[in-house]
Amino acid sequence: MIKLNGIYKWYQSGINRNFVLKDINLNIEEGAFISLMGPSGSGKSTLLNIIGMLDEPSEGEYLFLDQSVFAMKERQRKELYKQYIGFVFQSYHLIDELTVYENIEAPLLYQGVKSSERRSMVADMLDRFSIVGKKDLFPNQLSGGQQQLVGIVRALIAKPKLILADEPTGNLNSAQGDEIMQLFQQLNREDGVTILQATHSEKNAAYGHRTIHLLDGQIQHQHVPL
Amino acid sequence: MYSSFLKTAIRNVIRHKAFSFLNIAGLTFGLTACILIGLFVQDEMQFDKFIPEGSRIHRVYYQITTEEGTSQVATTPPMFATALQQEFPEVENTLRVLNNPNKELFEVGDTKLYEEGGILAEQNFFEIFPLQLTYGSAVAALEDPNSVVISQELARKYFGDKNPVGKKITISKSPFQVSGVFQNNPKFHLPITYIFPLVAAGIAEERMQSWDWYSFNNYVKLKQGADVEGLQAKFQRYTQPFLQGDETTTYLPLFQPLHDIHLYSADFRYDMAVRGNIIYVKALIVTALFILVIACFNFVNLATAKSLQRAKEVGVRKTIGANRSQLMVQFILETIFLTLISVVLATLFAWLFLPLLNQFTEKQIAFDLLADPMNVLLLLLLAVLVGVLAGFYPALVLSGFQPVKVLKGTFSGDSRPGKTPWLRHGLVVIQFSLSVLLIISAIVVRRQVTYLHSKELGFEKEQIMFFPMRGERMSSNVETFKNELLQSPFIEGVTVGYGFPGDMFGDGMMTVPGKGEQKKATQLMVDHDYIKTLGLELVAGRDFSREMKTDKDHGFIINETAVKELGLGTPEQALGETLLWPTWRNADSVKRGQVIGVVKDFHYKSLYERVEPAVLQIYPQAYWKVAVKIKAAGIEKALPYVKEVWEKFSPEYPLEYNFLDESFDKMYKAEDKLRSLLWIFSGVAIFVGCLGLFGLAAYAAERRTKEIGIRKVLGASSQNIVLLLSGDFVKLVLISILIASPVAWYFMQQWLQDFAYRINISWWIFVVAGLSAIAIALVTVSFHAIRAALRNPVRNLRTE
Repeated sequence: MIKLNGIYKWYQSGINRNFVLKDINLNIEEGAFISLMGPSGSGKSTLLNIIGMLDEPSEGEYLFLDQSVFAMKERQRKELYKQYIGFVFQSYHLIDELTVYENIEAPLLYQGVKSSERRSMVADMLDRFSIVGKKDLFPNQLSGGQQQLVGIVRALIAKPKLILADEPTGNLNSAQGDEIMQLFQQLNREDGVTILQATHSEKNAAYGHRTIHLLDGQIQHQHVPL
Repeated sequence: MYSSFLKTAIRNVIRHKAFSFLNIAGLTFGLTACILIGLFVQDEMQFDKFIPEGSRIHRVYYQITTEEGTSQVATTPPMFATALQQEFPEVENTLRVLNNPNKELFEVGDTKLYEEGGILAEQNFFEIFPLQLTYGSAVAALEDPNSVVISQELARKYFGDKNPVGKKITISKSPFQVSGVFQNNPKFHLPITYIFPLVAAGIAEERMQSWDWYSFNNYVKLKQGADVEGLQAKFQRYTQPFLQGDETTTYLPLFQPLHDIHLYSADFRYDMAVRGNIIYVKALIVTALFILVIACFNFVNLATAKSLQRAKEVGVRKTIGANRSQLMVQFILETIFLTLISVVLATLFAWLFLPLLNQFTEKQIAFDLLADPMNVLLLLLLAVLVGVLAGFYPALVLSGFQPVKVLKGTFSGDSRPGKTPWLRHGLVVIQFSLSVLLIISAIVVRRQVTYLHSKELGFEKEQIMFFPMRGERMSSNVETFKNELLQSPFIEGVTVGYGFPGDMFGDGMMTVPGKGEQKKATQLMVDHDYIKTLGLELVAGRDFSREMKTDKDHGFIINETAVKELGLGTPEQALGETLLWPTWRNADSVKRGQVIGVVKDFHYKSLYERVEPAVLQIYPQAYWKVAVKIKAAGIEKALPYVKEVWEKFSPEYPLEYNFLDESFDKMYKAEDKLRSLLWIFSGVAIFVGCLGLFGLAAYAAERRTKEIGIRKVLGASSQNIVLLLSGDFVKLVLISILIASPVAWYFMQQWLQDFAYRINISWWIFVVAGLSAIAIALVTVSFHAIRAALRNPVRNLRTE
């Protein structure tokens, strides 16, 4: 599904290049659940952003479903993004002015889904994740775990093939974190969603099929848990 | 999608209350001013538009060019109409109207009242100006010389609701019969209340063939498709032989479109039309635009300053699939939502304030804003336009945020320390430049108006009661009447004549025999007490004297300007010079006399006009008006006495008078209004600007909380902090003053050119305007600066 060939990302600082990513080569097949680990500043987020098409590499090739992403026109890339990718953030990033219901509905608006269809899709999701009772609350009326759940539901509403999660449990306590991880696992197994998460926690990383260790912008090693 | 935008918009308005309030308040004030100005301007532009085929109607006026420059005169000779009708095939019709400047006494039964607003008009008046006739026939109403057509108001006053056609009215002791009732349109340029047929004046046929009796309003209606310019040129050529002035004066007839009469005749002389002034209309439009621009800039400034708060939302929306144009639409719609609220509020306020505006401008503007769907559409359009103008730039900035940057949490918008927000500063400078421009204009106008009202006019206008003589007994016993008035201890002097300051004047050609100098001069027909009573100052020679029997028939007193223009040297040298004047009664008989005195120039007309050469002479045939000088604090005692004497001489006429200073003050009514309007609207402009500044200051104080905390920990005093925070804004205001001053100077200089007598724009006006702008800005900004400075620094740093 995803193929990265020789991805570099650097920032020019005077005559020096500060490398954030160095020669990343990576293959992610559909249906995988992969954890990215590494200390702060190792390039996890940048890598996620590049895969999520929010950022561009300085050099290298990125194939998404065998299409070269950065050779595409901006519009095509947006379409691809809208169709296949959902983002989950450490600090949830819900829109404060919108209710739970409206937050979940928002991506559908931008995809031009009809209102009746929208209503049933959102209702399904609320039902499935048992948050019907919270649909009219605003983000600041929810706990962190609940907010993250909404964040995930919002990422899922458009039925993406790939979920990119940047430290999704970073702001949660361990019990809440476990729930989110179990949810990811379930999504991966039952719905076949490909998941790529960045995390600091060995325990959370273990939910994945494979862990990739990053250090100073380079892949150090990958291992498959027993 | 749009309902979701609307929801977000409403919630944003509610969540950011202070921000929304500042924006809505600013826009509402700005828009209220704009709507009111718009209503006023629309009303001014509508004059005479109701007249069918009005674009084919023109008024013929004179442009008179002398050494001093050009001036316009609304009245022209009666032959203009005759010639146009007979010689030029392009002309469909002509109309002559003669103004009656006097108040006439109307008597119906026991009701006895003076009425003004009378004209004499040719029979086709209602054909050219089809005012609606409630009673009577448009064709025949002005046929019979003993008939009069009256306005609906007059009809109601004298005859109630009954049809008055055929009823008798005694007008100034002559019998007339009502032949029609018309409804005057408030947007008709002639402020008429009654119309006599021109034939009623009994003007001799040869007089109607005069080329130099400039008393008529000559209107001409062209045939469809006729070329005005061409006709005007032909007519100018045709009239050339008849319109010979002297060597230095030329007369040029010009055609003025009917629709231009109201707004483009402000400086016309002898114009009876209800006149506005295009300059003041334009000034108001510009002011409205200024205010709107200031309010829009507020929005741009506050929105971009606050952009940080929306940055996260932009990032999130982009990561869930929004593209830039969708976000721009969202933000612009939010702005339109705000402007819509403001437009609704502003409409409400405009409706509330309209009666005040009407009272102030003496107009009857109706608030039919909402009755006409076109107007509703216009208001909506205004909201959308303002929304797009104000919302476009902030939307552009906001929608351009990169999600990668704004979602990381390290994003600081465009407010990185050390980076000057050029745009925001630029807009503040523009806002304050406009405000300072308005303040300076307001001060200059105010000073000029004060000057107009208070300038030494060269005579004493206070405590002078002024009225026309009425009735046979009074006119034939002038001296007895005067003497009787003088019996009162409260009356200081009485003078009769024709040619009192602020009233009407005649003129005539003065010749210095031998020298060949010939000059037109204002003729002041006076008695022996004129100079004394009005307190004129003699600079050479003596006043008229009853002892010198030759004064009456052979004495002239002239003003300084006349001395100069007639080439008589100094006032002393002028004494004894001979002057010739062709008398009014009979152009062939020439009055020959000597200059016996010279008076200092005095302003007998408005200060718009330069003092012209003036000649005073004893002329009992024109003892038409009376001026009574009353002793200080004697008015209450003197008035009943004057009335009593009046009753004795003219019991059949009620006494009707005014005071000279009042009629002088009335000359500057337009300027008085301009002054007040400018003060009100500069106030609005500054207030709106300050709302924005207030928001920006709050934002700046918030942004620099940490800096302030550190500075205070390092030992800065609260005063230091206040100075630090206010200093930035004061700098901007200073730049604004530098920009606005020369611009204001230029435009005010232009405006003052209209006045023959005017103030100098002195440097201190700019200082005062500048200081007040700085003071207002400081007060606005310091609220937040002081609050920030007094905050506990430890708390500031901890929350960072």
